[in-house]
Amino acid sequence: MLMMMPQLVVSGVSTGMLYAVVALSMTVVYKATTVVNFGHGDLVMAGAYAAFVFTAGIGLPFVPALVLALGALFLFGQLMQRALIEPILAGPHLSLAMMALAVGNVLRGAARVEWGNETLMLARPYPQTSFLLGPIVLTMDDIVISAVVLLLLLALFVVFHLSPLGKVVQAVFQTQRGAALVGINVRAFHGTMWGTGAALGAAGGALLALNTALTPDMGAWTLVRGFAAMTLGGFGSLYGAVVGGLLLGIMEKLLGFYVSTAFIDITAYVVTIVVLLVRPQGLFGRAAGRSV
Amino acid sequence: MASLLELAEVTVRYGGLNAVDNVSLGVQAGEVCAVIGPNGAGKTTLFNVVTGNAQSTAGRILFRGEEIQRLSPHEIAARGVRRTFQLGALFGELTALENVLTGLHTEIESGLLGLLLGSRRARAAEQAATAEARQLLELMEIGHLADRPARELSGGQQRMVEIVRAVASKPQLLLLDEPAVGLTPPMRAHLESVIRSLAKERQTGILVIEHAIELVMNISDRVIVLNYGAKIADAPPAEARANKAVLEAYLGHA
Amino acid sequence: MSRDGRAESRRSAPAARRRSGRVIFWLAPLALLPLPLFLNQYQQYVLNLILMYVPVGVGFNVVVGNLGQLAFSNVAFFGLGAYTAGILMAKLGLPWWATVLPAGITGAVAGCAASVPALRGVRSFSLAIMTLAFGELMRWTYIRSEWLTGGSMGMAVPASDLFGWRLDLESHKFYVFLVLAVAVVIATDRLLRSRVGRAFMAIKDNEVAAAAMGVPTGRYYVLGLAWSGFVVGIGGSMYALLVGHLSPDSFNLIELILEFAIIMVGGLGSLVGSVVGAVVITTTPEIFSDFPGFEELIFGLLIVLVILVLPRGLASLLARLHPVFRDRYYESA
Repeated sequence: MLMMMPQLVVSGVSTGMLYAVVALSMTVVYKATTVVNFGHGDLVMAGAYAAFVFTAGIGLPFVPALVLALGALFLFGQLMQRALIEPILAGPHLSLAMMALAVGNVLRGAARVEWGNETLMLARPYPQTSFLLGPIVLTMDDIVISAVVLLLLLALFVVFHLSPLGKVVQAVFQTQRGAALVGINVRAFHGTMWGTGAALGAAGGALLALNTALTPDMGAWTLVRGFAAMTLGGFGSLYGAVVGGLLLGIMEKLLGFYVSTAFIDITAYVVTIVVLLVRPQGLFGRAAGRSV
Repeated sequence: MASLLELAEVTVRYGGLNAVDNVSLGVQAGEVCAVIGPNGAGKTTLFNVVTGNAQSTAGRILFRGEEIQRLSPHEIAARGVRRTFQLGALFGELTALENVLTGLHTEIESGLLGLLLGSRRARAAEQAATAEARQLLELMEIGHLADRPARELSGGQQRMVEIVRAVASKPQLLLLDEPAVGLTPPMRAHLESVIRSLAKERQTGILVIEHAIELVMNISDRVIVLNYGAKIADAPPAEARANKAVLEAYLGHA
Repeated sequence: MSRDGRAESRRSAPAARRRSGRVIFWLAPLALLPLPLFLNQYQQYVLNLILMYVPVGVGFNVVVGNLGQLAFSNVAFFGLGAYTAGILMAKLGLPWWATVLPAGITGAVAGCAASVPALRGVRSFSLAIMTLAFGELMRWTYIRSEWLTGGSMGMAVPASDLFGWRLDLESHKFYVFLVLAVAVVIATDRLLRSRVGRAFMAIKDNEVAAAAMGVPTGRYYVLGLAWSGFVVGIGGSMYALLVGHLSPDSFNLIELILEFAIIMVGGLGSLVGSVVGAVVITTTPEIFSDFPGFEELIFGLLIVLVILVLPRGLASLLARLHPVFRDRYYESA
């Protein structure tokens, strides 16, 4: 039984990478505007479909298609923030949650109108081989997903910490009003961060679609896991989102194997509920806003 | 006679700071005590610890002889302690009348089942409370505002409604946190007479935080001066005014 | 004195109008009585669907609109009510009418459970995420409890009658549903116009100040969510009878958004809004039922539009037409 442990951890990490990128994308949005985007799962779905359109539809190779999908979602996220979220940003949290849910609903509806309930797959741009590392089986999917996510994390790190934009990011994360005082265009910044969040989510979606079927309803599944990872890591913590995602992926696999297969499905729900009840600030973060 | 409210060596510690530092004091029924002191002296924290909104680190708080420092705010309120808030805390969505009715919450006797079935008793209780709330607003000369949502009222009007809300249930102890802010001179005069009549006629014990020194001199039987959380004077108004420590505390910060 | 006199007359004219309007308001359900005679089977079904969504919307609105909590647990209450009714009918052979109260009670118990995070200080987005997870967990439970619920294939709910009066006819369901919907609206109206409703609104506005008035806020969280669970659970039992088949997919995120659309489009914190929302939102998907996806598209756009232009929903438009549609005492809209 224990023999399986390394294998489970490895595949858990691979799944966890996906959760991490989704949680990270939601955290970027949350940190910039303190809004939890309930439509984020559908942005992930839209990203997956965009990648599908650019590959299967237009016939582009995978990498340019991925870049275009990310760009498209970046624009969409920015537009969504500027046109729909910014006007009500000071309003009640209920309106913000509903607005995001509603936009997600529109996206889901649009996907269903276009593709119905047919299940589509994203063609892998690489052979589906696997490697044996001692007792561990490593699939090409595991390698590609992990590599792309690590690249994205690296890029994000560079942008947030080493580039000139990083100074702006840190300043606004510290204090919004202070940032406005020193001449940073906070509105434009909000838009950029929503765009970044949406693009990161799209990357998660496209990677997810490499080994899962595309459906208009994949957003809800993703959203719940993104929430769980975010909650576990702690709201508003970028590192927390990554660690939370990886932990969630590993926990699903371990609990699913050693305790009950049910845990493959319910770990995310249970983690969300237990963490918020017992340690609402998660591993690294501060508790989310308390007023409605 | 035992005090209505008795604080014995009460301390409230936030981080490394004593917001309230070893304060002892007593308030008698029918007595008006002003609490003054420079900004950050711990006046509002003192109120909060009495009403259960802040936890004391040390000391005992007795209301009518009962220890209340472990009770939650609504339990303390239900025992007859009501307050207003420094920044005003009306329910903006509710009308002035509904705000006052909320002040009467604990006085309206109606069971859940009675409400759901529309029992005569529940309806009568509700009607009586509504009539009473309207009358209270009339007494305060703001009856014409009864059906306006609170958020539409001016700052001074909101203060007045909040005071009516706090006194509606005939509390034995009333804590007013800067009640005169935003009041016009006539409103202010009216407030003074209301405070005095509450103390004289209803025997309400009243603690008032107030910066308007004139108002303090007019209404209070006693002045409690706080500085850096500690009580530095507790004396009749004229004496407190002449107290050296008080002058230093104020002038030192002016 | 003269100022007060004027205020008095200004107040009493609409008050009188409101009183006369109120009579009309309660007579309206009577006017609906002959309605099934003029409608075909399908139209009667849609009408019943509307009546079913009245308690569902009313219950949801109490939590979100009145108590001001971002609790997404409504679909869980709805599903639990529906499955309670369905299981009692299919497994124990109870007639439908005997399952209505148990369904409500199951919902109320779930409501008490859903108030635990609120009592522990979880609010806003955190509460929303948590209750969303709770709802999804319930859906997973329906799928996995195959022996009881038929799993993802769903379960059939047997036909029922009311002391020999057939309940498989849409027109018959209509009268039963009408009674239930009106009862829920009246009871909730009484609750919201009493000190309980004021306590809800006070907690929504300023929890600290509410507690300072002696309102036991924790108890009202439990009461609000339990009442919501109760009436939504009753709505669930109506669903079981109306649709005759229960499947876990009926209680997913899409259903949650439909229920959100009801209270947002109708008007948050407004009983009238819940009813109006049920009418508008229930008929919309039926119009588009042949075009998968359109219903979600339309709901999404409707909610976006309402948030941006009509934040108090259709009820606020109606309130301008006639004071009877106002949920509160005050005059300005």
